[in-house]
Amino acid sequence: MFLTRFRVNTARPGARRLLSSPQVLHAAVMSSFPSLLPSNAPPPDGPRVLWRLDHTTRAEVMLYVVSPDRPDMTHLVEQAGWPAAATSSAPGWESRPYGPFLDRLSLGEQWTFRLTANPVHHIRRKADEPTKRTAHVTPVHQMGWLLQRQEQCGFRVLEKPADRRLLPGGTTHTGQPHHGDGYEFTVHDKRALSFDKSRGPAKAAGRKGAVSLVTVTFDGRLEVTDPEKLRRTLRQGIGKAKAYGCGLLTLAPLGAAG
Amino acid sequence: MSVLSLRLAGPLQSWGASARFTRRTTESAPTKSAVIGLLAAAAGIERGDDASLEPLAALRFGVRIDQPGSRVRDFQTAHHSVSGKSMPLSERFYLADAVFVAAVEGDATLLSDLHAALRNPVYPPFLGRRSCPPAQPVDLGLHDGAASLMEVLGELPWQASGWYRRQHGNRPDIELTVLREACDDEGEFADTLRDQPVSYAAEHRRHALRTVVSDTVRVPGASAGRLPRHDPFDALQEGNV
Repeated sequence: MFLTRFRVNTARPGARRLLSSPQVLHAAVMSSFPSLLPSNAPPPDGPRVLWRLDHTTRAEVMLYVVSPDRPDMTHLVEQAGWPAAATSSAPGWESRPYGPFLDRLSLGEQWTFRLTANPVHHIRRKADEPTKRTAHVTPVHQMGWLLQRQEQCGFRVLEKPADRRLLPGGTTHTGQPHHGDGYEFTVHDKRALSFDKSRGPAKAAGRKGAVSLVTVTFDGRLEVTDPEKLRRTLRQGIGKAKAYGCGLLTLAPLGAAG
Repeated sequence: MSVLSLRLAGPLQSWGASARFTRRTTESAPTKSAVIGLLAAAAGIERGDDASLEPLAALRFGVRIDQPGSRVRDFQTAHHSVSGKSMPLSERFYLADAVFVAAVEGDATLLSDLHAALRNPVYPPFLGRRSCPPAQPVDLGLHDGAASLMEVLGELPWQASGWYRRQHGNRPDIELTVLREACDDEGEFADTLRDQPVSYAAEHRRHALRTVVSDTVRVPGASAGRLPRHDPFDALQEGNV
């Protein structure tokens, strides 16, 4: 496994084209792997390519990729990087082996995390209707979505001490359980994306190629409760829309958080 | 000595100090009588209970203007909901989209009681007028053993909303105005305002004069409120290529 970081040069037209559509960026990321053919169906339960864009500021946009193979991002550097500054030792992206870090994860460790995800649930509006996948829209539901998954993903989001909570009892005034702000994490950067899978004008494609997604970014602190499950989560991602930059969870040391 | 800090943020606020009859004006910052009234309401002190109010009114008061907001005039032509008769025409002034940090300084046990009351209030808090609910939790924390109110107001992070910080805070720190009561030796140079609560009795509200000194503090600017730094490569340092 490899973890790769690529800084996007947002001043270039190529970068704008890449950032404008998750479909285009997905294709560009997948093209970084010479051994990965489009005709290859990915193994359903194996490690896969995951990516995420971190828009910290307008000119600080980082692309993180976790992949089974070492990527070659020369084409990304040419389109949306700094090709003239690239040398053979610093080609414009950084790749590091991820396996040793994954193997070192152990029970009870605490980390800060960041995750961009597509929180969804399945609903039906009438009793006789088939269920359909629908985005969680409010921060409360989006946080609830992650809290629901934390156990099977092998971690636990840290809880705040009672004196810093808005609902110290963990329930509302009517006695309903509610996580309030009882956990050490935030949800931000909600984006409602909608784009076309197919090339050409949207009208011609009709509804068939239309994709709409709601993505949000979680930032917080966690504790490892099951290293094996967490390794699996870090390799394979959380939730839906993994091709479109969702599901990649990354960890960083606690002390480094500003 | 302790300091209790409050965040007063909401879409509309109204802080009258000299308003009479049908023209209800607002000051540009929260008044002491409103903030002490808010604390007294949270603690469940009834309007006529002047004896219980006295220790609260004796607290030293200061307020920091984090986001000044803008003044809004409401020409009110209300009608009685049952009889349909028109109520007296009145003008009401509000501050729209303002954020303040208020602080009271005094005895540690009294302030810790008030802090507990704020987190579980008998009567809910509002921003100067019953129709102006707070948009965010009012409680900003109790600072035990703080040297003074100014020290706390100088340390609390800037509470202004995101759009305001982006417009005004593109620097490492920002200067904010603090309106506080005078210390012992500077009383003669201070302004006065008639908002020192003496009684909130419904039939006869009374306010005395108190001193106001305008001061400034420097607090960290917008960059401090940005996203937490997160670099997954920090965890991989030893496993270098």
